[in-house]
Amino acid sequence: MSIKTPLTCVCCPFGCRLEVEHEGNTVITVSGNRCPRGAKYAAQELVDPRRSLTTTVAITGASIARLPVKTTAPVPKNRICQIARDIQQIRVQAPVSCGDVLCDAVDGDSGIQLVATRSFAAMSS
Amino acid sequence: MNLKSHYDLVIIGGGPAGMAAAMGARQNGVGDILILEREDNMGGILQQCIHAGFGLHVFKEELTGPEYAHRYLQRVIENEIAILTHACVLDIVSQGTACHELYIAAPSVGLHTVQARAVILAMGCRERTRQAIHIPGSRPSGVFTAGCAQKMTNMMGVLPGKRIAILGSGDIGLIMARRLTLEGAEVVGVFELMPYSNGLTRNIVQCLDDYGIPLHLSTTVSHIYGDTRLTSIDVTPVDDSLKPISTQKRNIPCDTLLLSIGLIPETELAVKLGIALHPRTRGPIVNSRLETSVPGIFACGNVLHVHDLVDFVTKESLRAGHAAAQWLQNPSQCQDNINVIPGQNVGYCLPETVIRGAEHTISLRVTKPLYGATLKLGDILTKKLPIAIPSEMITFTISADKLEKFDGSQLTLDVIANG
Repeated sequence: MSIKTPLTCVCCPFGCRLEVEHEGNTVITVSGNRCPRGAKYAAQELVDPRRSLTTTVAITGASIARLPVKTTAPVPKNRICQIARDIQQIRVQAPVSCGDVLCDAVDGDSGIQLVATRSFAAMSS
Repeated sequence: MNLKSHYDLVIIGGGPAGMAAAMGARQNGVGDILILEREDNMGGILQQCIHAGFGLHVFKEELTGPEYAHRYLQRVIENEIAILTHACVLDIVSQGTACHELYIAAPSVGLHTVQARAVILAMGCRERTRQAIHIPGSRPSGVFTAGCAQKMTNMMGVLPGKRIAILGSGDIGLIMARRLTLEGAEVVGVFELMPYSNGLTRNIVQCLDDYGIPLHLSTTVSHIYGDTRLTSIDVTPVDDSLKPISTQKRNIPCDTLLLSIGLIPETELAVKLGIALHPRTRGPIVNSRLETSVPGIFACGNVLHVHDLVDFVTKESLRAGHAAAQWLQNPSQCQDNINVIPGQNVGYCLPETVIRGAEHTISLRVTKPLYGATLKLGDILTKKLPIAIPSEMITFTISADKLEKFDGSQLTLDVIANG
């Protein structure tokens, strides 16, 4: 027995309004997407909804107090607050380069890393 | 840094607009360029926009704000464009064509005067504050603009508060609702005056729905309570003419109120120069080469009109840099000979004048949401728009040949709903 679920794709700022026809977690059709990413998003959202996570961590020895960071892949939506709390424990010392890996696995064995999104030189005190 | 006393081109602002303007000028032959940036670091507002969504057009990748700034700054550095940070331009005086004096204060050089043959304004914009909308009540601490709270959280490492209400459902307010929730605060709700949010639907989903944060449309903040610190606010539904229905007000305990109620161009220097300002955008009026009413002074980015996508800022600023380069080679008066008039459903368009025989890019915003519309520029151009909403700037290009054949002196720009 198939049902139709409306979803908004969050992959890019277009925010296409999708209609997903599915039976349980099996996708039958996706419509309303302007690109293939929308179809992939809809399928993922039914089975294992994920979100990319950007936040900051404490940094010492830099010109400001926080280093912006991001996860290298989306994390499970229902664990996002817990993962953010875990990331809050990380402390970084300048210098750091945009792209540096700060944590190898933000969510168990997932292989999703945490990387810096900004570079800071070490400032002499 | 060895600061000279003369430059061909000085750019005020080292954010995405200033950096792209510098590259646009360099790519068109200007050798002698100086970027002045008031903050400690380059990157402008992108430094605090730690979320993703930048660069889809320019880099074909989705980057965070700092990553976008980093990539662009690498280009500026590779091109050996002079940069001075911690530098505030206190005043500019135009001494005549191709001679503008800038009075600069910077810790590394003290007070310094620089003469520039051309100037590009790229200072960005400011946020509207509580005073702009006259919220009644006491004046406790805990009332911040959303951007200020963003800088506190993302750069200074200071949490603005623990129990937070947000007025305004534009993207900055929505982004901060998520940000503060992830940092351990409780966001009690987002309140929006209009019957619709003007933030991206994507942000309603990933910033509010995902965290169970309620969005209250057609609601305003009607009173602020608190002695030294905010203790609560009254929120009141509004009617169709946006007037509060005070019998239905509710009191919401909170210790922080964020205001995401609009951005306006930073115009202090433009006003000192006597530059004509546009009543709708609140930024300088510019001709088709993004030149202000003072010859040789150009403007681009949020200082000209507030943008939603940094990619459009970059494209516009590259054009401003290019125009400044051409002007430096040949300081001629603007030859625009066709007026572009905002028509049906168009709030404003920029520029408002164009020149026959050249290619132009026009930016505009519509006055109300339209789902299925057609953009018409007189009889010379039509463009289908599946969605046209006030919160998303629309840009289109007119090719040189389309204007070549037009022999009138004005064109009306309309956005007409289909059917």
